[in-house]
Amino acid sequence: MNEFEPKVVAFVCNWCTYAGADLTGTSRIKYAPNVKIIRFPCTGRIDFMLILKAFAKGADGIIISGCHPNDCHYTSGNFHAKRRWMVFRTMLDFLGVDVNRITFSWVSAAEGARWAEIVNTTVDGIRMLGPYDNYRKMVNQETEVNNG
Amino acid sequence: MARIGVFICHCGENISATVDCAKVAEVTANIPGVAVSVDYKYMCSDPGQNMIKEYIEKEKLTGVVVAACSPRMHEPTFRRACGEAGLNPFLCEMANLREHCSWVHDKNEATTNKAIDIVRTLVEKVKRNEPLMPIKVPVTKTALVIGGGVAGIQSALDIANCGHKVIMVEKDPSIGGHMSQLSETFPTLDCSQCILTPRMVEVAQHPNITLYTYAEVESLDGFIGNFKVKIRKKAKSLDEKLCTGCGLCTTKCPAKKIPSEFDQGLSNRTAIYVPFPQAVPNKPVIDKEHCTYYIKGKCKVCEIVCPTKAIRFDQEDEIIEVEVGALVLATGFDIKRANFFPEYGYGKYKDLIDGLQFERIASASGPTLGEIRRPSDGQIPKKIVFLACAGSRDPAKGIEYCSKICCMYTAKHAILYKHKVHDGTAYIFYMDIRAAGKNYDEFTRRAIEEDGAKYIRGRVSRIYERDGKLIVVGADTLMNAKTVEIEADMVVLATAGVASPGAEELAQKLHVSYDQHKFFAEAHPKLRPVETNTAGIFLAGACQNVKDIPESVAQASGAAVKVCGLFSNDELTRDPSVAVVNRTAPPLFSTCVGCFLCQSVCPYQAIEKEEIKSRDGKILKTVAFINPSVCQGCGTCVALCRSKSIDILGYTHKQVYAEVDALLNTL
Amino acid sequence: MDKLRQKAKELLSNNEVQIVVGYEEGTAGKARPAFISSPDQADALIYDERCIHNLAVYLTQHKLSGNTKIAIIASFPVMKSIITLASEKQLDENFIKVIGISKDNNIIEFKDFADIERYINQQDLTFTPEELALIEKIDAMSMEERWEYWQNEFSRCFKCYACRSACPMCYCTLCITDFNQPQWVSVPSHKQGNFEWHINRAMHLAGRCIGCDECSRACPLDLPINLLTKKLSMDIQKQFGYSAGQSLTEPYALSTYKPDDKETFIR
Repeated sequence: MNEFEPKVVAFVCNWCTYAGADLTGTSRIKYAPNVKIIRFPCTGRIDFMLILKAFAKGADGIIISGCHPNDCHYTSGNFHAKRRWMVFRTMLDFLGVDVNRITFSWVSAAEGARWAEIVNTTVDGIRMLGPYDNYRKMVNQETEVNNG
Repeated sequence: MARIGVFICHCGENISATVDCAKVAEVTANIPGVAVSVDYKYMCSDPGQNMIKEYIEKEKLTGVVVAACSPRMHEPTFRRACGEAGLNPFLCEMANLREHCSWVHDKNEATTNKAIDIVRTLVEKVKRNEPLMPIKVPVTKTALVIGGGVAGIQSALDIANCGHKVIMVEKDPSIGGHMSQLSETFPTLDCSQCILTPRMVEVAQHPNITLYTYAEVESLDGFIGNFKVKIRKKAKSLDEKLCTGCGLCTTKCPAKKIPSEFDQGLSNRTAIYVPFPQAVPNKPVIDKEHCTYYIKGKCKVCEIVCPTKAIRFDQEDEIIEVEVGALVLATGFDIKRANFFPEYGYGKYKDLIDGLQFERIASASGPTLGEIRRPSDGQIPKKIVFLACAGSRDPAKGIEYCSKICCMYTAKHAILYKHKVHDGTAYIFYMDIRAAGKNYDEFTRRAIEEDGAKYIRGRVSRIYERDGKLIVVGADTLMNAKTVEIEADMVVLATAGVASPGAEELAQKLHVSYDQHKFFAEAHPKLRPVETNTAGIFLAGACQNVKDIPESVAQASGAAVKVCGLFSNDELTRDPSVAVVNRTAPPLFSTCVGCFLCQSVCPYQAIEKEEIKSRDGKILKTVAFINPSVCQGCGTCVALCRSKSIDILGYTHKQVYAEVDALLNTL
Repeated sequence: MDKLRQKAKELLSNNEVQIVVGYEEGTAGKARPAFISSPDQADALIYDERCIHNLAVYLTQHKLSGNTKIAIIASFPVMKSIITLASEKQLDENFIKVIGISKDNNIIEFKDFADIERYINQQDLTFTPEELALIEKIDAMSMEERWEYWQNEFSRCFKCYACRSACPMCYCTLCITDFNQPQWVSVPSHKQGNFEWHINRAMHLAGRCIGCDECSRACPLDLPINLLTKKLSMDIQKQFGYSAGQSLTEPYALSTYKPDDKETFIR
């Protein structure tokens, strides 16, 4: 029986979480290999549609992480991102998307151990939730169009 | 037609120990658009970089992915190499196979597969990279030094002596900082003000330095090389051009009972005052909160007696705006006071003082003219107990760090005391003796061997008053934790050094990071100790971390050379990764609809209105325009724009979408 | 209605405006938008309970803009739309005359947009019990039920984009659906394409929707898509204290922030 290995994409900001993940590496702290990182200059740059695209292309879980409030390298990008996520999360929840599959976090450049912990906790959580079949089913039904 | 070169580094064994580099090279060679895919032991070495350059020329590569360590490590290295080979440096990206992959996973197939995914993601990104040219901005060759203590003074003099203009802003009425309050300095015991005041005068008289005292920074705008600073000159109630510094007003002022900040409350000053006799500038200011005229509308004695009619009661705060190219933060530190310690009496015992207060007592120009006397009754103390580590290294008090200077100044205090009171005894309760500087350990040894200071290793749990004496109850851990009780005439606490008041507020105004103790954050603890994460703002002195005078001066000179380095070019080249609002052919001109919701989102006010006009001057459309000299490239406006009219070079919509696509689709 | 027609005739005869946008009799007993350009046509104007279309959508039509001065008959939702459009710098006050109709069918002649803003803030701006009930019904469902419900609804959509055309706040010259480098919203009207389109629409209207329900009315399939934007409006009002259409100067909720915005889910 194949153990389900979740695919998780992480959208992180360059100045804090990416550097924090670098620190995790420098400190040789091990974590689950299911998470792959995409670098952004700031969490403010992260489009909400990317979350949908990630799910559509096969992600079972998503991590979005940036600088702690007040520490943003660009001063306020993370505050704008926070508001955007609050609204988007409400939208997703209203539509029945499993928001537990998305982890939002603030991880600073000094928090190498914490990044590993967030990755591991997220991957374990997604493993329990299983593959995101519902979303995949929606995406795969290209030819099923119902104009009731 | 994309021709991407993929270069996979083994990084010695750092990557190859857990990732099968040869396999990664083999698989990535099949990604459409990849012209060459090789692996090598040390890409960042000279042979490694030469290999990349040769392939660029031989294979006519249109983009390069170096799969190695973190881009935060070597992106500039490889971008420079590509530039030297004739490929635009921004067509080179790095895939992080070390910090994000080989170092954090075990050696197995999943790790190698993840490495392949990471490389593929960056290949897809690079295919959509555009060649970019660095943006050049002019540099204003004037520096702003905030803080006039020894670090600020050193920085200002260094920069001014290199031929650049300096503006110094100090919030107190005089420069000098805490160093001007000290009596003698370790390890040489030279007189603090004797070595400092010549420097203070030099700052005031230097042709390149403009000094604003009793002033604070109000706001900061702009970016490196082009800052606009508003400075609030607080009203001194004085016309400085007319004042001769004769001091007559300070002798006649009837409000005489105000605790002197300079003497740490051990003496009083008047409402119109000069903080200390050697103040620079040696002109008084009126303390509006204690002046009878400002409170009750009566008095004005100073105005009456002033021979040059220099008093101006109607003077208001003045805001001046200056343009500078760089800032040096030298705002210094503060210390905890006796009232921080419930176990030592909450500050209610007059003879239980802190280190700065002892400095004032020992100082020849202090409240006791240099004689060691008890604040309560003026008697000469025969037994003084010094407590090192009062508050520092104490997680229970929220100060887990070491304040660095206390071991040395406590030894100094013991020596000074003994020099002045030959039959006195100094007891020092300590945890460790930290004397790591040049001649420092010899100095502490001198306190013990020549001046008879009695060091007791242990902490003090309680101090209380009995019959006019202070009972100090501590432990001697080198004698089996025996309780030690000393009847002291005076107690001096070497209290913890903390960030100066207002540090957090200033840091937020300047967008400079700070830690949980409100000390300003350096860009890198080892390799960049005088820079902050905010380009163009540098650090000097105790505002970064409590430190002694030699280190403050050294760091100040370090910050000064960084500023001079910045000023050594007429133009600064900026990272071209900025946001751009699209422009298209008429009649559309741009897909931007001019809603300007992006304007409020930009932290740097980089977004302006642009009116697109027809030939006869009629306004056809008003759209957004992003100033490339100001934009810092955060991309918040890009994600906000509904019509996707804004894109950011280096993280374009196409690139980011391609990365997500590539990451999740396996070959 | 007579007073309305009189006013329209007056404005057109004096050439204070060139076009009056209002309502007229349509087919099958419905009302429809009218564009009156001469005083003698003004008698076609009507105003009754059938006149619910949000006419503000015509204010951003470029054919009408330029040197043409427009008068618009504004019901309460239309007034809010005008304020929202004005706060996004889409309207020139000098070219638009707003004739408001109050709840008791009286004409209000607004001097300028600030006048409209004042009037709006004197009215009851809370959500109606019906609106709240519709949202609560969906909120009460479980996650799976909600997924099923919306998947069902979205499966019927065939991407006619009538909702986009009818909404006054959808005025982008190039819609994100037309953007194919990259293709953010899948184009076909399959489940994924519809899902992405409606999420995108709702997010772009988050905090900008004034709740006229025109989108649902315009939809040939009666999809309850007005609930998506309404839910976000309620959420934004609760979390950030911001509501669209009530201020000309307050910054848009997602263009600003408070350092202490409270959330519960960020680690």
